[in-house]
Amino acid sequence: MRGVRAAQPILVLIALVALLAGLTVIAREISARAGFLVERPIVLFVWLGGLLIASVVFAWVVRRSIRRADSTFSGLLLVATALALASPLALMLLQHPAP
Amino acid sequence: MGMAWRRTVAGLMILAGLLTLGYVGISSYIAEQLVYEAPKAIVKTPASQSLRFANVSFPSRNDGIGLKGWLIPGVLPDGRLTVDRVIVVVHGTRTNRESPGDHLLELTGELARHGFGVLSFDMRGMGESTPAPLSMGALEQRDVLGAVDFLRNGTPPFPELGRPRIIGGLGISMGASTLLLAAAREPAIAAVVSDSAYAEVVPLLEREVAKRSIAPVGRVPGVFAPAALVMARLLYGVDFFAARPVSTIARIAPRPLLLIHGTADDYVPFANFRQLNAAATSAPGANVTTWIVPNARHAQAFKKTGVEYVTRVVAFFDAALGAAG
Repeated sequence: MRGVRAAQPILVLIALVALLAGLTVIAREISARAGFLVERPIVLFVWLGGLLIASVVFAWVVRRSIRRADSTFSGLLLVATALALASPLALMLLQHPAP
Repeated sequence: MGMAWRRTVAGLMILAGLLTLGYVGISSYIAEQLVYEAPKAIVKTPASQSLRFANVSFPSRNDGIGLKGWLIPGVLPDGRLTVDRVIVVVHGTRTNRESPGDHLLELTGELARHGFGVLSFDMRGMGESTPAPLSMGALEQRDVLGAVDFLRNGTPPFPELGRPRIIGGLGISMGASTLLLAAAREPAIAAVVSDSAYAEVVPLLEREVAKRSIAPVGRVPGVFAPAALVMARLLYGVDFFAARPVSTIARIAPRPLLLIHGTADDYVPFANFRQLNAAATSAPGANVTTWIVPNARHAQAFKKTGVEYVTRVVAFFDAALGAAG
């Protein structure tokens, strides 16, 4: 039970990413019926808005988890969560522009 | 866990969160900008070239996007019109079938005056065609395939001229890469002229992203490019990584292929020509002709060489498609 609680931030992070991606795809499918000129801003709005809401939810979960963390294991899980959170930044390494 | 440890973890989390949020947010906005640009109006028609033409509409293959174009019958030496041999002309990115920047309408007129029917159309999201995301060829190849379907099965705008006996294709820049992708899938495209094509678009887009300026951030560093390309796929289903004709060009063999590229091309560097030529000639039975145009900038070979360009292209199509019936 304590293990599940310690893993809460990373599980919430995964769930939020999945939920946000799913919502964006649904928004795209629905708005596409009205044409791409409608779809384009709606999809961006849903994605960025969802990203902000997800950030607030995630920050609240992390704050609670940090307060409750009472073992080295839970501390390490939080560090792992921070690394997972920063993982999109690794995309920077894939840059290979034409000369 | 001690207080110092908690503070460290909290700081790490805030830093990671803010950096990721900023990176993903800005990349998403760049992706939104990359996939669409307001279409440019068509000012001139083939009438400005004293050519007869018909406005045509047809859907793209598979996804049925509405496309608009012109069917221009070829003019035989005795003045009769013909659609026996039709060239599908494919324009470049962020322009239209008129494409004044590379004088595409003038080139189209030259082909028609040399006896080739021409189907020149606006790819999705450009000119007068239906708004749709720009994918630099990955989706637009369906537009070229739709053009082929129209020529083979659509309602002919000049019923008295019948249907084309044979179809060729000519593309410039993104149009060339799109045509290469389509021809690799569609054997009905009997011969291809590719002018200033890229081998793969991702390296070009990465460079383009680094040149862009977005309000209110201003000029964005190139590090956002990879994420912008990923976001384009997630948000709009645009897979720029699939716009890679170098992977499929070999499938055009044994059909004739003419590759044209300017040595002073600073948008699609000359290395792209080398990559495409190497891939195309690696196929068994490859029938590849090349023309390297000295000091020609991107998609400017026709503008720079004029009559020589027309002579070479017409000779290529005459040999590949046979004489007009």
